[in-house]
Amino acid sequence: MTTQPAIALDKLNVSFGEAHVVKDLSFTVLSGESYGIVGESGSGKSTVLRVLAGLNRDWSGEIAILGKAQPKIRDKAFHRQVQMVFQDPYGSLHPKKTVDDALAEPLTIHGIRDAEARIGRAMADVGLPPSFRFRYPHQLSGGQRQRVAIARALVLEPTILLLDEPTSALDVSIQAEVLNLLQALRQERKLTYILVSHDLAVVAHMCERLLVMQFGRGVEEMTAATLAARAPQTAYAQQLLTASEGFKRQAATIPA
Amino acid sequence: MTTWTDYLTTDSPSSRRQARLGQLYRQWLAFKRNPLAVAGLVIVVALLLIAAFAPLIAPHNPLAQNLDKRLLPPSAVNFFGTDSLGRDIFSRIVYGARVTLVIVLLVVITVGPVGLLIGATSGYLGGWVDRLLMRITDVFLAFPRLVLALAFVAALGPGLENAVIAIAITAWPPYARVARAETLIIRQQDYIAAVRLQGASQWRIVWKHVVPLCLPSLIVRTTLDMAGIILTAAGLGFLGLGAQPPIPEWGAMISAGREQIFDQWWVATFPGLAICVVALGFNLLGDGLRDVMDQR
Amino acid sequence: MRALTTPTEQPLLELDNLRVNFHTPTGIVRAVRGLSFTLGRERLGIVGESGSGKSMTGRAILDLIPYPGEVLADRLVYRGQDLLTMDKRTRRKLRGRHISMVMQDPKFSLNPVQTVGEQIAEAYRVHHKASVREARERSLVMLEAVQIREPGRVYELYPHEVSGGMGQRVMIAMMLIAEPDILIADEPTSALDVTVQLQILKILDDLVTERGMGLIFISHDLHLVQSFCDRVIVMYGGKAMETLPAAELADEAARSQRHPYTLGLLGCLPDLDHPKAKLATLTRDPAWLA
Repeated sequence: MTTQPAIALDKLNVSFGEAHVVKDLSFTVLSGESYGIVGESGSGKSTVLRVLAGLNRDWSGEIAILGKAQPKIRDKAFHRQVQMVFQDPYGSLHPKKTVDDALAEPLTIHGIRDAEARIGRAMADVGLPPSFRFRYPHQLSGGQRQRVAIARALVLEPTILLLDEPTSALDVSIQAEVLNLLQALRQERKLTYILVSHDLAVVAHMCERLLVMQFGRGVEEMTAATLAARAPQTAYAQQLLTASEGFKRQAATIPA
Repeated sequence: MTTWTDYLTTDSPSSRRQARLGQLYRQWLAFKRNPLAVAGLVIVVALLLIAAFAPLIAPHNPLAQNLDKRLLPPSAVNFFGTDSLGRDIFSRIVYGARVTLVIVLLVVITVGPVGLLIGATSGYLGGWVDRLLMRITDVFLAFPRLVLALAFVAALGPGLENAVIAIAITAWPPYARVARAETLIIRQQDYIAAVRLQGASQWRIVWKHVVPLCLPSLIVRTTLDMAGIILTAAGLGFLGLGAQPPIPEWGAMISAGREQIFDQWWVATFPGLAICVVALGFNLLGDGLRDVMDQR
Repeated sequence: MRALTTPTEQPLLELDNLRVNFHTPTGIVRAVRGLSFTLGRERLGIVGESGSGKSMTGRAILDLIPYPGEVLADRLVYRGQDLLTMDKRTRRKLRGRHISMVMQDPKFSLNPVQTVGEQIAEAYRVHHKASVREARERSLVMLEAVQIREPGRVYELYPHEVSGGMGQRVMIAMMLIAEPDILIADEPTSALDVTVQLQILKILDDLVTERGMGLIFISHDLHLVQSFCDRVIVMYGGKAMETLPAAELADEAARSQRHPYTLGLLGCLPDLDHPKAKLATLTRDPAWLA
């Protein structure tokens, strides 16, 4: 097992004008590890991902990816290493481009020759039948769209995949399929994941370690085992955990 | 024919071309359901055909003067009567379709791409580029279109080409505005973030990903605007600043007929009707296209 | 306190063989195909995936199905009043006054150019003859009832100035000011954070236990429905797969009696206590819809 960090974040700060949305955030993700970030809306969890991906340039601090410090504007080599899957499968595919267009585009940008073979392989890897190749997004279901988005992220054969709530817009049965697919791909290709989610059960299922965020700060880092044992140290993490267990009727605990 | 329909409507097309054609076919089916839009299309196609086959359709030479037959009312020989120089008005209108079409096409070819490029670039890049380009647009928008066109024609000198240039110069700002507004929404979308993440250059993103999405609303806007362009051209022609005599231009024909409007009503009425019908046709077509193309 | 419906009491709502059809150019889409249930003074959950017809059921009860759709039923009765034969005006009056609905996202349900307080007051004045002052006072009481700490301040806020959780409370206040007998809540908490979600559920829960309101809780979240509702209808493809007491959903011993679809749904959820390498996936049986 290598212990080389795939991603190292040191004192990351992000501000949008007045709003200071990520505050002094530091964490390290090892190569081949799956790391979860959980938090409620406004916790800054998605912002961290977009900064890591280079989509947001209003940050300060240190970001190192595969041992290389990253500037604000990333180079082409970075994009071959790091890819992202977005939350909304309806918004992450260009409405006027077929599956084929979506998968061919990154290959054209990076001047990769064997596009035909790569597209076929990427589709097979995510379980999309070849007959889907020339379909438009509106001819696909939500789960199928998300598979296309995963295929698009994988077609450049990156080592790091950033997952921004990849299943929160999907039905639970489709969520299970997509999560299984992501797990299988990680094992096969030794990928490193950062998974952002509001769903603790999903994060515990997918990740070895996770970070709880609140108001832009990292509140607590723990292992999935700690979470499953209901043993977080901080009050906020505990509260989040209790809240995710469903509704508890007061009357049920107090005998009438 | 079923095989063709099957080929176009299949759920799993097997090539890029089939996918594109299938998409077009579905849009055509949606378009066909709107009778007004189809009427618009018929008018526009009729205009194209009349312009193309003008020599076959027109019974007389549009330029041939015959002072013996001045100001004849509509008859079996001269369907729409004759004008003050004895020219057959029907033939002149038929040939005038060519002039109108030339104006419209030239304006569209220049205005569409320029507006699109300026708008999309401005919207996508933002910052000082956006500010500069939008202020220039504002300057053009600040003047009434016809007045500005008049000023340009006055400076350039009257004539068909200059009229087209003047209209084009005054027509692009709204297109840039529309394209910019669309781009501002599009650039926030995750699919644009995804191409950015693939390392695409900004030009590539604007051209290959943003512009195709702005295109439908611009096409719609162009067809809706066509009526305005035709009217502006006619207006310039009416004022004697557009096509020069003896070219049969509808606006100029109305202008020539205004002296006889009470006694020989047909001289000004028929070119006026032609403008009306064509403007209406483009408007209906634009409305229909909007319903079909704007759905995402 | 749990069972407020005694067998002798008339149910709030009786529904028999409800069907919702949409006539589209490509054929008839059957969104709901033959759903029957009765609602007492209870929390009735309707769970299902997208396309199961759960939202359409709620809308059909309120006669809010948009144009190409039609609602058919053998019986649709609200406290002895037949909704099917009732004229449109009477039915519209019933809506909001006696049967109300809370939607998923408060952002799209509130008028952006009016303060939230005014909107609540207006909702009151639509159904009651009341002066502006009286309506305002009632609204403040309602805001307090949905646990808003400073009702006076919130009354003056515009929808964009309130958070998602607050917005949803405002929506509930607005729906409840007419004191309806039935509240249909369509994914009322899905757009909210978990901690806020529980506060909203608490409010809904109190309304059922204290006021004896009937609640139809439409959700995709099995865990939530199981912990919150008394009874659950599991829907799939426009049909009820089964109707069962919520407690039995979690009951391991009763698993063998469950419908395979319900079991499938439960199985594909990741579970903190039962980690598994691979999640079960759902195999849909066409026979379920036969």
